[in-house]
Amino acid sequence: MEVSACADCGHLFLPPGPCCPRCWSRRLAARAVSGNGRVWSFATYRRTYHPAMPAPYVVALVELDEGPRLISNVVGCAPEDVAIDMPVRVRFEEVGEFTLPRFEPLSGGGRS
Amino acid sequence: MSRRAVIAGVGHTAFGKFPDRTAWDLEAEAAAAAVADAGLRPADVDGLLTDPGAVQGILDGITPHFLRLGAQLGLDPTYTGSEILGGAGSVAIVERAALAVEAGLCEACLCVYGDSALSGADAYGYGRGDEAAFGFFGAAGLHALAARRHMHRYGTRPEHLGEVAVAARAYAARVPHAQKRGALGMDEYLASDPIVEPLRRLDCCLVSDGAAAVVVTTAERAAGSRRPAIPILGHAQAHSLSTYASPDHFDALPASRSGPEAFGRAGVAPADVDVALLYDCFTIVVLLQLEDYGFCEKGEAGPFVEGGRIGPGGSLPVNTSGGLLAEGYGGGMLHVIEAVRQLRGDAGDRQVADAEVALVSGHGLGMNTHATLVLGV
Repeated sequence: MEVSACADCGHLFLPPGPCCPRCWSRRLAARAVSGNGRVWSFATYRRTYHPAMPAPYVVALVELDEGPRLISNVVGCAPEDVAIDMPVRVRFEEVGEFTLPRFEPLSGGGRS
Repeated sequence: MSRRAVIAGVGHTAFGKFPDRTAWDLEAEAAAAAVADAGLRPADVDGLLTDPGAVQGILDGITPHFLRLGAQLGLDPTYTGSEILGGAGSVAIVERAALAVEAGLCEACLCVYGDSALSGADAYGYGRGDEAAFGFFGAAGLHALAARRHMHRYGTRPEHLGEVAVAARAYAARVPHAQKRGALGMDEYLASDPIVEPLRRLDCCLVSDGAAAVVVTTAERAAGSRRPAIPILGHAQAHSLSTYASPDHFDALPASRSGPEAFGRAGVAPADVDVALLYDCFTIVVLLQLEDYGFCEKGEAGPFVEGGRIGPGGSLPVNTSGGLLAEGYGGGMLHVIEAVRQLRGDAGDRQVADAEVALVSGHGLGMNTHATLVLGV
């Protein structure tokens, strides 16, 4: 997994953009991160908004160990088993033409 | 002193589902009501600021909302514009009107919110860019993240969110134009369907067709009106545009910055507020604001609202017209109007005795934008 890194101030951030959101430097690079993080908060959808995402499912704000946060899903466990501060690890899933970074419990056996 | 901005007139339509009426029609009705209430004629209006709702949108092709509404109202103002700040938009345009009037850019500024959100397209199932790929749809999802985090950090319970919903309906039962006038009990709240946990259906605001307007002018200009003009004592905005990276996203709203600024300008403190009109797109936002405006300590909003404290007869009346949860979705302008009514002593059997200071807030675009007004007599 990669995040954006500022070559001038060292700030790591998501999503990628045209400049560093902290110092506005345009000298940016991709940096590999562990793909490990924690659930910062989460929401359990009990209503289906789109047929491609049938409820129930969990949308989480995940904080990577290296700092950046991103919206993703927690998969690989029941919605009832998700908790704030739960350690999670990224797993990439092919969805149509896209590859989505989703997260599963770190203790969940690593099915990626 | 004579250029102090005041709200001299208020007006609104009914709120509900009106599939046979356009947003323009609703806005024209609200505008006329507000200008008449201010004791002014259409020709007196030389400022127009608009907050078109999410469904109507700010642009029709290349024509901005203010231009189309201004043309329909026959206005040739010296100051105009439209704002898209989500739920902060209506409070923000009243603030901008106050600044314009105080600066002498116009004398009488009409501020209009309107939308056909209930009869129009489904703009409330939206996703934002890449996040929609994860099923992150709707404002409810974002506020559910905030609610879950608050519950985790502070032990806030579903019953605390329920206090907000129950109080809103108890007030709305006293509001003839309210969209939801039926009483709501805690048991019914707790039994309502989960939408995006931890939020239930009854944690979510209404969707409405309707329009609301106010006229901001100078104290001097309003002096001859038969209706009391309500001074704008303080105002501020604060925004959190860096979303999830921002320290005041979820853990504290931008209200924690705009609140102290507006209170400071007004020369009042939270303890001076007699009635609080707090933007209530979701119940959790009311709890967050009670903390971020300083009515209680961070994390204490749940216990603070227990026992009907913010409802009728409580020590801090909040959203005395039922707000977005029960009165109708008025973009935040109905909150401004209710503040004016309370300070005029016009609020009927929901009147807060001796109301002299009112706080009005707007909160929008998820958790990004915030605007604050302090009104007082």
